[in-house]
Amino acid sequence: MEIDVTISLKKGVADPEGANTKKALNLLGFDDVVDVKSMKTFRIEMDIEDEKKARAEVEEMCKKLLANPVIQNYTIEIR
Amino acid sequence: MNVEDINICILRIEGTNNEQEMYLAFKRLGAKPELVHLKQLTGEVAEAGRRDLFDYQCLMIPGGFSSGDYVRAGAILAARMKSAMKDDLTKFAEAGYPIGGICNGFQVLVELGLLPAFDEIMTDCPEACLTTNDSARFECRPTLLRHENKGNCVFTGRIPEKDILLMPSAHAEGKIIFPPQERGRHLQRLIDNDQVVFRYVSPEGDYAGYPWNPNGSVYNIAGICNPEGNVFGMMPHPERVFFGHQHPDWTRTNKENGDGRAIFVSVLEYIRGKF
Amino acid sequence: MLYTRRPLPFELYDVNLNDANGRQLKEISAELGLALSLSEMKRIQEYFTKKNRNPTDIELQSLGQAWSEHCCYKSSKSILKQFIFGIDAPQNLLLGEDAGVVEFDDEHVYVVALESHNHPSAIEPYGGAATGVGGIVRDVVCMGAQPIALADSLFFGPLDLPHQKLPKGIKHPLYLFSGVVAGIRDYGNRIGIPTTTGMVAFDDGYLGNCLVNVGCVGIAKKKHIIRSRVKRPGDVFVLAGGRTGRDGVHGVTFASMELTETSEEVSRGAVQLGDPITKEPLIHACLEANERGLLNGMKDLGGGGLSCVIGEMALAGGCGANIQLDEVPLKEGGMAPWEIWISESQERMMLAVDPKNLEEVLKIFDDWDILATAIGIVVPEKTLRLFYQDEKIFEMDLEFLIDGPTYCKSHRIKKVERVGQEEKLFKEPQDYDHVLLNLLSSPCIASKEWVIRQYDHEVRASTVLKPMQGIIGLQTHGDAVVIKPLEASYRGLALSADVNPQYTKIDPYWGSASAIDEVCRNLTAVGAIPHSFADCLNFGNPDKPERLGELYEAARGLGFVAKALGIPFVSGNVSLYNEGPTGTIAPTPTVLGVGIVPDIRQCITTDLKGNGNSIYLIGKTHRELGGSAYSKLMQAAAMVVPRVDPCVLKKRMNALLSAIHNGLVLSCHDVSEGGIAVCLAEMMMGGDIGANVDISEIANLRSDYKLFSESNTRWVVEVKRGMADEFEKTFEDLPLFEIGEVGGNKLLIADDRELIDLSVDDMRSVWKKPIYDYMG
Repeated sequence: MEIDVTISLKKGVADPEGANTKKALNLLGFDDVVDVKSMKTFRIEMDIEDEKKARAEVEEMCKKLLANPVIQNYTIEIR
Repeated sequence: MNVEDINICILRIEGTNNEQEMYLAFKRLGAKPELVHLKQLTGEVAEAGRRDLFDYQCLMIPGGFSSGDYVRAGAILAARMKSAMKDDLTKFAEAGYPIGGICNGFQVLVELGLLPAFDEIMTDCPEACLTTNDSARFECRPTLLRHENKGNCVFTGRIPEKDILLMPSAHAEGKIIFPPQERGRHLQRLIDNDQVVFRYVSPEGDYAGYPWNPNGSVYNIAGICNPEGNVFGMMPHPERVFFGHQHPDWTRTNKENGDGRAIFVSVLEYIRGKF
Repeated sequence: MLYTRRPLPFELYDVNLNDANGRQLKEISAELGLALSLSEMKRIQEYFTKKNRNPTDIELQSLGQAWSEHCCYKSSKSILKQFIFGIDAPQNLLLGEDAGVVEFDDEHVYVVALESHNHPSAIEPYGGAATGVGGIVRDVVCMGAQPIALADSLFFGPLDLPHQKLPKGIKHPLYLFSGVVAGIRDYGNRIGIPTTTGMVAFDDGYLGNCLVNVGCVGIAKKKHIIRSRVKRPGDVFVLAGGRTGRDGVHGVTFASMELTETSEEVSRGAVQLGDPITKEPLIHACLEANERGLLNGMKDLGGGGLSCVIGEMALAGGCGANIQLDEVPLKEGGMAPWEIWISESQERMMLAVDPKNLEEVLKIFDDWDILATAIGIVVPEKTLRLFYQDEKIFEMDLEFLIDGPTYCKSHRIKKVERVGQEEKLFKEPQDYDHVLLNLLSSPCIASKEWVIRQYDHEVRASTVLKPMQGIIGLQTHGDAVVIKPLEASYRGLALSADVNPQYTKIDPYWGSASAIDEVCRNLTAVGAIPHSFADCLNFGNPDKPERLGELYEAARGLGFVAKALGIPFVSGNVSLYNEGPTGTIAPTPTVLGVGIVPDIRQCITTDLKGNGNSIYLIGKTHRELGGSAYSKLMQAAAMVVPRVDPCVLKKRMNALLSAIHNGLVLSCHDVSEGGIAVCLAEMMMGGDIGANVDISEIANLRSDYKLFSESNTRWVVEVKRGMADEFEKTFEDLPLFEIGEVGGNKLLIADDRELIDLSVDDMRSVWKKPIYDYMG
């Protein structure tokens, strides 16, 4: 089973990577770009059948390592 | 205890890369530092290589890019430490032994929940985050720090309050932030608990913006300690300015001692007096 | 049928070479991506006909690697032999390996390596530059040395190129510049080796071919130096580090071709991906195993992968090898044996280990969580055999395989206009302030702080002179950095990298000679004695006689000055075929200079120190505007590139060094791009103090030539008040001019009349911003 965990910044948390990427895109001539947000996706392959169990385990992964609740949200999507 | 009996555990894993200069800082002052791989503390190596955290009087987490800083700066090392040696760490900190983190080490301590640690010695979830610099760039530059601790922090006992010290910064994720809704409250607690240790200032002593505050840190914070004062983390690098000739402007000032030396002198003095 | 698949569970072809005609030989070379010429294919045909069999695909692939320009320097070797190799000097200990080994003190050596990573960086700047750093670090580690500093010289097209003018298949210089810097930053910072020095230059010629030259310096105890060879039959080959994958297949043959519009699609697979967090512990483990005396030989896997490293190590030890190819740990399934054999996957080292030490060596790597696997054994006869699933798939005489062809291809030397008519080129400018501000804001001269501060240039805490110098917050460029490699000694190593492609474009000979002069000036300016050089020769397609002519002239220029100074080239690399749809690059012989500082506490920086000190100019100023920043600004085709007289250089360096070591000098900066005016401006910005200067005595020339000519072998020096007499005595009859005094907050320059009147702040604001403005 493949699970995608996407980590994004909470609303109101500054995103310099996004802001600077936007600036760079504008510099490269993409004038229509008005905003860029950075996110990160981990595609996790698990040897597990039970979707519910998988989801619960991935939740734990997010809490233990993948996301810092101070600034980050996460979404879990089973592919 | 005598300084030559003080054992310092300098933790390393793949990607920590400032351990040599930290080792030398303690060595030069007569203590007994040792580079210890995380696996040696968690028992994942052969018998002869195993170490016990309580063989040491001080744990230091050096700078670098532990595990490549993948996921988040310091997150992987923190998660590995937490899963393998949570109880030891808690006991070590509770016993008043100093734990210090420089740069990536500071990030690890925050991810571990050992800093700021308002209510308990180690929180389950991190209460703060060291996040991407406002410039979105790695910033390697001299920074000036005002010492603002009123005597709580065991790593700065020898530094007079309000002194301004030069210590270089070199990081891409050094901006300390708190959960948006807790920002004011957390900051107030840091101040009330005497947990603020260093703040970035300009040469005039102002709490200036970029580049003097290289990352956009809240309240210009460069280093903090826990409420008890024995766990301490800072982004700039005291171990890189042990000697005068390591200062970026030494050909103008000709100092003999570097500004970072006092950190190591202070913590050794604390250990000598306490244990 | 040209190819016959053997009936095996894996992919292996016999190539019907012996019956092939000329056309078919060419076809085979092209189809297998060997990049070998017809005559080379014929030579191979002859060999296998004698053996009475056809080669396998893996044998041909191996030959393609070993005989590539990148591995055997077939086009350039004869030129290098004539001018660069074998400069007689006592300090050089070991030549002919991956890095030069040079004496540092009684107990220690320093190790230098310099290499290009141009083609991969042009296709994939981030990964290309990062793996360039990785490769050069391995070159130093495999000599048994701890890397202590990195140096990068970068060359790009103009940053202000309008997007609509970008030729098809070419990436914008902004993109390449930011990608390359990010790659170097992320790799260098992560492995904890300071990126300390280098250069960045911009020119139209680099539009289609950016250059990324990376250098590394290391330090080792003499007794720990290890050779890149096996010791004796029975030694076990241990492959350590990353797994082997399809990334980086055909990297060297790719580096030995011109880039084309479609290079990107075709060649992305040739760009390897780096993994600094495997590399960092790999360095620890290799050095630990070596220092404990457990290794007989060590060599890094670079161009050509296993194919080159095993053959070269075995042959250098006078032996051969039997290799079990299925033992190689892989990243992915389904790889054909030939792919495993020539893959250039990163972060791998090859060790030759005595069987009795094998267990201990494997344990060290295991403790660092690094893979290490025995994959073969050294045999007495000079033959290389490969086995895969019990099938013998490769058997060749090593001497045939490794000693590739060398050519004396024809070269044509371009006639260089050597008499200048500069006086007639353009009128003297009215507004000198305007000219100086324009020079300070031109990308080649403007502050490189945007780059420098992204690199951790002081990790390891031994960078005692940093790339930016002066009052903190107001720092200026330094001439050279200085590393203090040993805890217990004040002896230091100074590093500086340079070449001015504007000179070499006009005149490869004097331009290259000037590169040596500039590197020596930079080293001397901080108080270092120039001690060794590394060269990276970047040129166009050597099959074109005029390109090879440029290489010939450049090598001759480098060799001429270095030989006269008695300073050897201890390491080098040649990168050819740097041309594409947009034309060729300027001849670019990058020089990395290493100097010895007897005591780092005597080092000098470029920032002016204080009121009332005297300012001197050392050296004569000539009418030499060819390739100068000033002539470019005035759009004048000046032809006379600065000359070098090595005898003069030697005398002036000695006098300056003795003044520095006697404590007479407070600051010093070499005069280079932009001439005396820019030199003074840079010194002032770092010290945040002005100067009052009069240049009427320095030469009998028009004022703008005096100010902006880039004549070699000159320095501006600040001398302590009251020490002027003693300073002047040091220089005896050498040309020395007292040109002014430090003070105020303005640069005031007069030449019988007032020429320049600019505040330090105004100069700083135009100098500091340009690169930030482009890059964000």
